[in-house]
Amino acid sequence: MSLLRWLSAATLAGGLSAAGLEFNRDIRPILSDKCFSCHGPDPANRKTALRLDNAAGAAIALKNGARAVTPGKPDESEIYKRVVSANKALRMPPAYMGHEALKEPDIALLRRWIEEGGAWQPHWSFVPPQRPAPPSIRPEWGINEIDRFVVARLDRDGLRPSPEADKRTLLRRLSLDLTGLPPTPAEMDDFLADRASNAYEKAVDRLLDSRAYAERMAIRWLEAARYADTNGYQSDGVRTMWPWRDWVIDAFRRNMRFDQFTVEQLAGDLLPGATPSQRIATAFHRNHRTTAEGGIVDEEFRVEYVADRAETTATVWLGLTMGCARCHDHKYDPITQKDFYSLFAFFNNVPEKGFVYNFGNEPPFVAAPDEEQRKKLAGLDAAADAAKRNWESLSARIEKEWKKWAAAQPASFDWTPSSGLLAHEKPANSTFDNNRVVDLGTEKAKFNHRDPLTLSVRVNTKTPKGAVLTRAEDYWEGTGYGIYLVDAKIRFHFVFRWTDLGMRVETRDPLPLGEWHDIAVTYDGSMLASGTHIYVDGTEWPLKVLFDQHLWPIGHKAPLRLGAGAGLNFEGGIEEARVYDRALDGKEVEALSRAGSRENKLRLAFLDGRLPPDLAAARKTMLDTRAERDKYHASLPTVMVMEDRLDPRDTFVLRRGAYDAPGDKVAAAAPAMLRQLPPDRRLNRLDLARWLVSRENPLTARVAVNRFWQSMFGMGLVKTIEDFGSQGEWPIHQDLLDWLAVDFVESGWDVKRLMKTIVMSATYRQSSAVTPELLRKDPENRLFARAPRFRLTAEMIRDQALAVSGLLVDKTGGPPVKPYQPEGLWQELTGGSGYKADKGEGLYRRSIYTYWRRTIQPPAMIAFDSPTRETCMVRENRTNTPLQALNLMNDVTFVEAARKLAERILRDGGASAEARLRHGYRLVLGRDPKPAEARALTAAAADFQARYKDDGKSAEALLGHGEAPRDQAFAAPDLAAWTGVASILLNLDETVTRE
Amino acid sequence: MIERELTRRHFFSRTSTGLGAAALAALLPDSMRAAGGLPGFPNHKATAKRVIYLFQSGGPSQIELFDHKPKLRELAGSELPDSIRRGQRLTGMSATQSTFPCVPSRFSMKQHGESGAWIGETLPHLAKIADKLTFIKSMHTQAINHDPAVTFFQTGGQIAGRPSIGSWLQYGLGSESEDLPGFVVMISPGQGGGGQPLYDRLWGSGFLPTRFQGVKFRSVGDPVLFLKNPAGFTGADRRRYLDALSEVNQIKLAEYGDPEIATRIAQYEMAFRMQTSVPELTDLSKEPESTFALYGEDARKPGTYAANCLLARRLAERGVRFIQLFHRDWDHHGGLMKGLPGRSKDTDQASAALVTDLARRGMLDDTLVVWGGEFGRTVYCQGRLTESEYGRDHHPRCFTVWMAGGGIQPGISHGVTDEFSYNVVENPVDVHDLHATILHCLGIDHLRLTFKYQGRHFRLTDVHGKVVRPVLAA
Repeated sequence: MSLLRWLSAATLAGGLSAAGLEFNRDIRPILSDKCFSCHGPDPANRKTALRLDNAAGAAIALKNGARAVTPGKPDESEIYKRVVSANKALRMPPAYMGHEALKEPDIALLRRWIEEGGAWQPHWSFVPPQRPAPPSIRPEWGINEIDRFVVARLDRDGLRPSPEADKRTLLRRLSLDLTGLPPTPAEMDDFLADRASNAYEKAVDRLLDSRAYAERMAIRWLEAARYADTNGYQSDGVRTMWPWRDWVIDAFRRNMRFDQFTVEQLAGDLLPGATPSQRIATAFHRNHRTTAEGGIVDEEFRVEYVADRAETTATVWLGLTMGCARCHDHKYDPITQKDFYSLFAFFNNVPEKGFVYNFGNEPPFVAAPDEEQRKKLAGLDAAADAAKRNWESLSARIEKEWKKWAAAQPASFDWTPSSGLLAHEKPANSTFDNNRVVDLGTEKAKFNHRDPLTLSVRVNTKTPKGAVLTRAEDYWEGTGYGIYLVDAKIRFHFVFRWTDLGMRVETRDPLPLGEWHDIAVTYDGSMLASGTHIYVDGTEWPLKVLFDQHLWPIGHKAPLRLGAGAGLNFEGGIEEARVYDRALDGKEVEALSRAGSRENKLRLAFLDGRLPPDLAAARKTMLDTRAERDKYHASLPTVMVMEDRLDPRDTFVLRRGAYDAPGDKVAAAAPAMLRQLPPDRRLNRLDLARWLVSRENPLTARVAVNRFWQSMFGMGLVKTIEDFGSQGEWPIHQDLLDWLAVDFVESGWDVKRLMKTIVMSATYRQSSAVTPELLRKDPENRLFARAPRFRLTAEMIRDQALAVSGLLVDKTGGPPVKPYQPEGLWQELTGGSGYKADKGEGLYRRSIYTYWRRTIQPPAMIAFDSPTRETCMVRENRTNTPLQALNLMNDVTFVEAARKLAERILRDGGASAEARLRHGYRLVLGRDPKPAEARALTAAAADFQARYKDDGKSAEALLGHGEAPRDQAFAAPDLAAWTGVASILLNLDETVTRE
Repeated sequence: MIERELTRRHFFSRTSTGLGAAALAALLPDSMRAAGGLPGFPNHKATAKRVIYLFQSGGPSQIELFDHKPKLRELAGSELPDSIRRGQRLTGMSATQSTFPCVPSRFSMKQHGESGAWIGETLPHLAKIADKLTFIKSMHTQAINHDPAVTFFQTGGQIAGRPSIGSWLQYGLGSESEDLPGFVVMISPGQGGGGQPLYDRLWGSGFLPTRFQGVKFRSVGDPVLFLKNPAGFTGADRRRYLDALSEVNQIKLAEYGDPEIATRIAQYEMAFRMQTSVPELTDLSKEPESTFALYGEDARKPGTYAANCLLARRLAERGVRFIQLFHRDWDHHGGLMKGLPGRSKDTDQASAALVTDLARRGMLDDTLVVWGGEFGRTVYCQGRLTESEYGRDHHPRCFTVWMAGGGIQPGISHGVTDEFSYNVVENPVDVHDLHATILHCLGIDHLRLTFKYQGRHFRLTDVHGKVVRPVLAA
C-alpha cells in the first residue's frame, strides 16, 4: 500500500470507527486489489469456483468443506485464515505469484468486517444515484448544499473548515479556474471596489460568460478526445480536425446541454435531418490515431481504431476500464469480453480503412465552413443553380439552333475535345515490333494520385500482353502509371509501391486481337478505383478492381512512352494517342472514337465554340459559376466524421483481442450488467448515445460531474477519474457526488450551472493555506477542510505569461498555430524539413491553438504534464521537476514574456524600484508584494541594474530574445535588469500555482 | 502522484514539530535526494547497476551479421518452401509479391575468439571482442512493422501508452545521480539523416508520472531542452536570480506550509546544478587521444553514434541508470548491399569500443550492454533481386540480439534457428523474456515491478516473461 493511501486510511479511519464499516468503501478495494484477479469475474482466470466479487460466488462450499466467510466468526472464515496463514504455501494472495502478504490495517479491516456480519453490497457506481438529502448543519458556515455535505463529513473527523480566502486570492483563483487566465489589474480593482453582497457572484457570472471560459473548458475535453493535428503513428501525417475543436469551444460557450453534447458527438450524423454542425460534432471519434506505415496489415489497424473508440467511450462516459475486457473477461468488474465487443460493434460500421491517407483527411469527411464561408458557399451555390436553370430554360432554342447549324456541316466534319489536352501524338510509323519505342519526353503528364486525367489510344494488338501508353519504370512492379494488356484484358496501373500503394484495375473482357480499337482511361483524382473508367470504342467496359490503395504521390522516374513500360513492349499498331489533364465524360470519350456517332460529335462541337453569342454567354456563365463553386468548395477545410455503412459489418468477439481470431458473433449492446437498451432491432450509435444520457445509466452523470469537479479542485471526488469500477477509488463523498450528479441531470445537464454551484460554495472559497496538523490528517485534502492548492496546467502557465506580458492575441478558433519550439526537434527524430514557427500573432495565441504533432509533442506542454493526445486521458497529473524550472527560466517564450512584462512595469510602474515591483506584482499576482518580498526583489533589481550598466552588450543580448519588437523608450540596462526581475515573477511558486 | 508522495514522505520524516521555513530550508537538499525507488527494491542482489541499450532502429539483418546459414548458398534463388513459411503473415509490402526467392548473405562470415562466435565481415571490431559478447539468436517478436515493433521493445506492448523500460527502472529503482537525469536517450541518424522515424513516446513514461520519462540529450542546440541560460544572462546572473527567487518562495512556504513549495525550490537548485553538470558531461575536450583512437574519429562529431557511445560511457560513470542509444536506418528493404555495410561502419567500432572501455575501467561488471533492433529480416528477397542489389523485408520470427557485462555469461550463443534463419528451433526468447532478464540483472523480479493504473497492476512484462537463465553468469 502506498504511503499516501496508508495515511489516508489511517486518517480517515478515525471517522470511520464511529460510522461503522462499509463493504464498498472498506472491504471491496482490498478484495478487488488482492483477490479478484483469480477469484473474480473472469472465469478463465478463476482458480477455483470461489469468487469474491459477489455474495453468491463467495457462499459456495469449498473443497475442505469450509466457507469463505462465516458471518461473525473470522477464525472460522477461510478467507481470513488464509490471509493470516504463516504457511507460505497456504497464504493468500500467493507468494509464488509474486504477491506480498496483506498489510496489517487491511487484515484488521477484514476481520472486523467478518465480525460485523461479512455482508456484500452491490458495487456503488452500478446502482443509479438518488438525490440524497443534504445533512442539516450548523448555520454559521456554508452557502449551498455542497457545504452541508462537506461540513458534516468534517464534523465526523473533528475538523473545521478554513476561513474564506481573501478577495484577491479568490478572484485570481476563480479567473484561472474558470478561464485559464489571471484577472487583469482592472478586473481586480473592480472586484475589490465592489462592496455589493453579490460581488463574487457577479464575477462568477462574468467569467462564465467569457469566451475564455469556453476555451478553458474545451482543452480538457480535447485531451479526453485525443485531439491532435497529425495522425500519430509512424510518419505521422497531417490531418485537419480543428473545425471540430472550434465546435467544442462553441458548445461550451453556448452552454450546450451535456446530454446533447454527448449525443451530437457520438451520433450527430444519425439524428433526423442532421445539420452540418451535428455532423462535424461526430469528429470526436475520428480523433484517434491512424497509420500510413508501409506494410501494415489493414484490418489489424482498423480494429485498433474501433477498439480505441469503444475504450474512449467507456472512459469518458462510463468511467469503466472496458479495455481490460478486450482480450478476456474483466478481472475486477462484471464486464465480459462479449460486453466489450458489443460496445465495439456500435463503432464498427464506419466505411474506413486501417491504412490511411498520409497527406490529409481520410474519408469519410465533410466540408466544415465557418459562418462566413458558409454564406459565401451558399451564394456561389445559388449563382451556379441559377445559371444552370437559365441554361436549361434555353434548351428548346439551343436544339433549334443546333439543328440549323448541324444541317449545314459537311460529311467530313470532325471534332475532338481540346480542353485540357496535354499531348496529342500521331507517330509517323504506327507499327510496333515488340522492340520499338516512341519516347514522348519527361516533361508532360506528370500525374500524381490526386490528379484527374484521361489517356486515349487507338491500338491494334497482335499479342495478349504489352505496354501501350505508360509513364513507368522498366520493371513489372515498378513505379509509374500506364495502360497495359494482360491476357488481352486492358489494365490501368497507377503504382507507387506495387505491394501496398497504388491502384490497379482491369477490364472484365479481353480485347480482340488483330483489330483496331479506341481505348480510353479516365480517372477523376478521387484516389479510388471507383473513380476510374475504361472505354473501348466509346463504350464503357465493366472493370475488376485488383488493388485499391491509391494514396501516395508517385514521383516520376520514367518518360511518357508508347510501346514500353513496366518491363513490357508492344507488338501491333498504335496510331494515335491523347493525354488530358481532366477526366473526360462518356460523351467526350465517345467523340474520341471512330465508332462514336456523328451526332454526338456535332452536338459537342456546337457547344464548344459554335453557339450564337447570347447562348455562348449563358453556357459560359453556367460553367464558370459551377467551376467557381467547386473550386471554393474544394478550398474549404474539411473534418473527418463518423458515418455508418449501408451494409453493416458483422462484429465478432476477437479471441485474445486479435484481429484475425474471430469468435462468436455479437450484436451491438450496452454492457450486460447495466440496464439494457431495448433489443427489438439492430441498435446504432444514436441508441447508444441516448442510453448513455438516460436515467437508467448510473454512470454518465456521476462520471461527468466528477471530471468537472476535478477541473476546479485538481482531483475528483473519485480520484480515479477513469475508473469507477471495483479497482477505482470509493468516493469519500459519495452523497455529495450523487447529489451533484442528480442535480446536474435534473437541471437539464446544465454545465455552467454546475460550475457555478461548485464555485459558489463556501467549500470552494476557503483559504488554501495548510497547517501541519491538517497536512498530517488529510494530506491529499480529500475532506476539504481547506481549498486545494495546486500547480497550474501546462497551457495555463504559458497563457498566463502571454497575458500578463501583454503579448496574448485574444482570438478564437481557426487553424492551429506554431509558436516557438527549439530548433531541430522534428528533424532529429524524423528528418524532413522540420518545424517552422509562425511569425507574428501565431506566436501569441492561447495554447489550445498550438499545433499538436502527436509523435513529437510541443515540449513545454509535455514538461508540464499535458497528456500526449495519443489516447484518451482524463486524469489530471502534476509533477514538479527540474526540467520545468529550466523551461520556465530559459524558453524564449518566457524570456520574451519577461521582457514585455518588464516594459509594462517600466512604462506604468513609476520611477522607484518599489513602485515598479508593486506594479509587476499587481500584473502577475493581483496583489502588492509584502515588505520582505519587496526587499528581496528590489535588491535583485539593483544588482542586475549595476551589472548591466557595466555590460551593455549583455543587456542588449538579453533583450534580443523573441520576435516582439522592443520598446526603445527604455534604456537597455534598465530594461534588462527588470527583464530579470520579471522572469523571477513568472517563475514564482505562487505564479504557477492556483491558491 | 508519486511525486507528491515522495515529497511528503521526506517532509514528514523530518518535520515532526512544525514547519519553520528555516528548518525546511535546512532539509531541502536532503529532501530532494534523487534516490528513492520503491520500498523493497531491488528485490535481490543486482548484477548490473545500469544498462546501456544500443538500439539499432529499422531491424538489422541477422543473416548478414550473426546467424550463419551456409546452406543458403545452395538454395540461392530457390523459392522459400511453404514448410518453412507455414502461412506466417507477411507485411503488406511483400505479401503480394509473386515470388519469394531465398537469398544468401553476400558477405562472408567467420568464427571469432575462443567462443567461436559467428560474426559477419562488416563488423570487424566486434569480431575482436567476440568473447565478451553473448548472442541470443532466437529472439522473436509479434510485430511486423516498425512502429508497433519498436514500441513493443520499449514498453512491452505494441500499442503506445505504456511506460518505457527506462521509465519503469526509474520508477522502481530511483536515480543514483544527484545532478543528472536517471534515464537518458541519444539518437544518431543513418545515411543522409534518413531512416525510420522515432517518436518521443518511445522513451515516454506512459501512465507513470512524467518525471520518469527519458530525457533526450541532443547534439544540436542545448543537450537538454532549455538548459542554457539565455544570451546576456550568465551563470552568476542565474545564481543571483535563484537566490532571490528562492527567498521569495521561502516566504510563501512559511506562510502556506505547502511542501510542494519546498520541492519547487529544490528543483530549481537541481536545474542549476544540471546547467553545470550536463555541459561538463558533454564536453569531450578533456578526453585523451587514446579515447578517439578507441572509439574512432567519428566520436569527435557530436550526434554520431560513436560520439553517443562515448557519452554513454561518461553518463554511466556519473551514475545514470538507463542510457539508450538509437541508431537509425537499418531498414534494408532494398539496397542492402550498400546500406548494411554503411550502418555497420557507423556502429561497429564504437559499439566494440564501448564494451572494451567499460571493461578497462572495471565498469563492465556492473553495466549491462544490450545491442539489437526491433525485428530481423527475411531470408527471401524483397523487391528486385539482381547481381548488384537485393533487399529483405521485416522478419519477426527470429533475429539476433547481443548482450555483454552486468551478470551475463560471456562468450555463449543461445538459441538456434532453422537453416533458412526463418524459424526458431531451439530456446525461443521473446521480448518479454528479454525484459524479464534485463530486470533480473538489475535485481528486479519482473513480477513485482507493478503500477496500478485503470484498476490494473501493470507490469513491463504484461502477463508474460521468463528470465533467460542460461545466459546469466553463474
